Amino acid sequence: MKPARFEYAAPESLDEALGLLDEGSKALAGGQSLVPLLNFRLARPERLVDLNRIPGCDHVREEGGSLRIGMLARQVQLTELEAWPLLRDAVDHVGHPQTRNRGTVCGSAAHADPAAELPAALLALAARFHVRSASGTRVVAAEDFFVGYLTTVLEPDELLVEIEVPPHPPQWRFVEYARTHGDWAMVGAAVAGDRTALFATGDRPRLTRDLAVVDDPWKRAFLEEALA
Amino acid sequence: MPRREDERVLRGQAQYLDDVHLDGMLHVAFVRSPFPRARIGGIAKPDGVFVLTAADLGPEVRGLPTQTLPGIELADAAHPVLARDEARYVGQAVAAVVAVSRAEAEDAAELVEVDWEPLDAVVDPRAAPEWLYRYSGSGGDVEGGFARAEHTIRQSFSIPRIVTSPIETHGAIAAPRPDGGLTVWASAQGRDRTRDQLRHALGRDDVEVVVPDVGGAFGSKGAIAPEYAATALCAAALGRPVKWTEDRLENFLAAYQGRGLEADVELAVDGEGRFLAIRARLYADAGAYLYPTTPTPGQTTANLLCGCYAIPACAVEVYGARTTKVPVGPSRGAGRPEAALLVEGMVEEAGRQLGRDPVELRRRNFVREFPHRTPLGYVYDSGDFERCLDRALELVRPERSRDGERLVGTGIGCYVERAGGMWETASVAREDGRVVVTAGSSPHGQGHATTFAQIAADELGVPAEQVEVRFEGGGIGTFASRSVAMAGSAVALACRKLLAEGGDSATVRFESDMVFSSGCYAAVVEVERATGRLTILRIAAVDDCGRVVNPLLAEGQVYGGTAYGLGECLVEEARTDEWGNPLATSFASYHLLTAAEIPPVEPAFVETPSPLNPLGAKGIGEGGSIGVLPAIANAVGDACGRKIDPPFGAEKLWEAIR
Amino acid sequence: MRVSVEINGRPYERDVEPRTLLSDFVRHDCGLTGTHVGCEHGVCGACTVQLDGVPVRSCLLLAVQADGRSVRTVEGLEWGPLQEAFHAHHGLQCGFCTPGILITVDALRGQALDDAQIRDALAGNLCRCTGYVQIVEAVKEALNA
Repeated sequence: MKPARFEYAAPESLDEALGLLDEGSKALAGGQSLVPLLNFRLARPERLVDLNRIPGCDHVREEGGSLRIGMLARQVQLTELEAWPLLRDAVDHVGHPQTRNRGTVCGSAAHADPAAELPAALLALAARFHVRSASGTRVVAAEDFFVGYLTTVLEPDELLVEIEVPPHPPQWRFVEYARTHGDWAMVGAAVAGDRTALFATGDRPRLTRDLAVVDDPWKRAFLEEALA
Repeated sequence: MPRREDERVLRGQAQYLDDVHLDGMLHVAFVRSPFPRARIGGIAKPDGVFVLTAADLGPEVRGLPTQTLPGIELADAAHPVLARDEARYVGQAVAAVVAVSRAEAEDAAELVEVDWEPLDAVVDPRAAPEWLYRYSGSGGDVEGGFARAEHTIRQSFSIPRIVTSPIETHGAIAAPRPDGGLTVWASAQGRDRTRDQLRHALGRDDVEVVVPDVGGAFGSKGAIAPEYAATALCAAALGRPVKWTEDRLENFLAAYQGRGLEADVELAVDGEGRFLAIRARLYADAGAYLYPTTPTPGQTTANLLCGCYAIPACAVEVYGARTTKVPVGPSRGAGRPEAALLVEGMVEEAGRQLGRDPVELRRRNFVREFPHRTPLGYVYDSGDFERCLDRALELVRPERSRDGERLVGTGIGCYVERAGGMWETASVAREDGRVVVTAGSSPHGQGHATTFAQIAADELGVPAEQVEVRFEGGGIGTFASRSVAMAGSAVALACRKLLAEGGDSATVRFESDMVFSSGCYAAVVEVERATGRLTILRIAAVDDCGRVVNPLLAEGQVYGGTAYGLGECLVEEARTDEWGNPLATSFASYHLLTAAEIPPVEPAFVETPSPLNPLGAKGIGEGGSIGVLPAIANAVGDACGRKIDPPFGAEKLWEAIR
Repeated sequence: MRVSVEINGRPYERDVEPRTLLSDFVRHDCGLTGTHVGCEHGVCGACTVQLDGVPVRSCLLLAVQADGRSVRTVEGLEWGPLQEAFHAHHGLQCGFCTPGILITVDALRGQALDDAQIRDALAGNLCRCTGYVQIVEAVKEALNA
């Protein structure tokens, strides 16, 4: 379980990083999903572009009522978030203290594991995903960001540089069933106001309150009970 | 008494296998079968890389030894060092590739081209056409018992395979010696057995073994991995030290697994609830090849089938099915949890079918006189099964409710445990005002040095601090919960001999029949009706391991064994898909319990000393892993109103109760 | 690539491949074998070290990422109430997971945690020997010391 060889670059600015990203490269932020894949040799990028030396993008701050989560903000930074309790509850289920200290919020979103908590919470909260490439910037709505199993709209030369979360509705819930503490969910849901995002029920988190879309009868029963 | 072993561990100064570094050391990686079964048409080696295949092995290389035991029939299917014409499980090693680092060895291994021709897998042990071993035993009038029975209770059980998963994986370093021999550092459960297995596999007598600190074994390091032998062959061929540290993926794919048993059991019961006879057919999912200990769990299950009960007749057959999966071998408990699940499950089933209280059925049938010979020939040396049961019931506070949203049930798991047996040596010497104890059975986390020092200190009437403990071989090893009863007794007798003879030193070889620990675990569980979610409310863990030498360490064994068994109850299951591909390949697909899942456990000891050794000790290493499985299974069965096979995931329980 | 890492207050400068994991760097390039490797996919926690004072998995970091930063391993922990409590409560058996647990708990010092919080905080460190009960007791005592 040692990674295959790769080139390594640690750019010190965002522009430099964007210039290095292409089909053969992979961006490295917290590495809590990517490095296991490297160790198993399931991911074999030609080049790793390590974002961790880029200054000024590890913020989690409120701006005009919205929350701004920078590219290098670690998951642990959500744990004390009074005004966005859904994120706070969701992150409590993400891995363990040691992985939350390193794993990033943006990295979790970009990895798009269908059983992951943060993508579902961000989808329920109608987050907006700020994406940059060398040629420009675009903002993607949460509904459009996750497109399949471990797949988002991000192109190989693009980076998710910031997540913008609108003000938190007063009603929210986070429920999940996992085999052990910190493990991936077997099924779960994040609810913010009238938006419900189900996770671990398909190839991506899905925004729906209609539990009939859940094929697995036990998962449906779990969600019916948990969301009742 | 806290352990003398702790300080160097807490300072990070312990030396486990991968911590050993030798000058000029090379690293080996393995090319492994991606198929459950495939013919090997040919192997193309890359240039400039050292690659060892079965074709390179001399005729003296025999593969792992097998071990015959009375009543066991073995197939000619010893585990080969490397697959030759056919690979029979995903992960089986077919070539060893050596390079200057592990990463480069893995790079080079990717360049080895194997011409594979996939063949059909054998997944279901009940339908397997070949067997690796067969065992049968019977005693008493079984036919007569069933003929006289008022009721015949029938039930089938399925116990999945588990991955033993010590946090330190396997590993070996082999180095040529100037005298032409080989020294092998091995993560193992004992020096001498490991040495003998390696000598057999390699077909040479000049192999010596060093066992460094061992980061857990739980039965999985009692037999060498074939990779240990391959690593030694690489070192011999290259004339340089070679290291293999098993990685976690290799441990999931290629380390022998535990459990894996299907069983059809029948119990003959008379009108008063007395058990007249028990018979069973067991299908062990034994895997692709024989390790020396592959038959052990199946045979032990069979021989313990009467459990704590005075059943006059028993007949059991074990079909050790040859499947195209990684082999099976001992894993903490090694047949004892399986036997306890079967017999205790039958008692519960009898209670359910006859409308009788299963606790009363137990009381009616307990063995009460010792020594007690079972129909299959085990001799229980001591015990007080009812006292264990009473204590467990008192501690667990039974509850049952089947109304409302929460189904609550209580389960009992009584057990007997075959422990100890065979022999161990120890010597005691007085040196410069200190006492030096040398024992054969080396530890892997149990705290032998503390316990043996305590035994010597008690015998000699000196402070334990004055006793130094060394492990220099001359014993069989640490397994089957045998170390206090066997090696500890050898230490005690050596001390007594020293006192009696008055010299500077004394050596003793202690031999004993097996001793039988016992106990009763009880659990109260709750199942959420709407989702099947299981909550274990509390567990009472009552063990009779004879005389307890060190209560702190004994409790540590109880908590550890209990957590091991709980893993099996809650989450652990090493499955394959229908084509035989393993589904448990990482801690993302196979889970160990964390601190957050462990329910409240209340331990207690009942002490009936064994008459077979000077300490009166039996064994405590496996009790938790044995008792908790039937206790939780029966509690779940009580809550849900029917027998359910482990593990007890929400989805399965929800299916069962809806 | 040349990397320079301060480990336990001492500088270590070595040439490594970019793919070298921090766990292997600490253990094999720097010879500090108190940090153990149990799974190399970030679940077992045996390899936990502190990076600039924060517990992280060293198997999920590249050595090159630690260039210019400070790492603490079990060898860098001073003997104190934490180690005493593990000894007194039999909080270790084979000891393979122990360094990762000590490094994790060391970072909790000064926090008042109840049993459930201690169990959550330990959930990223797998132990196969102890069943965790005596570890939790040791941590409780150490944090209250």
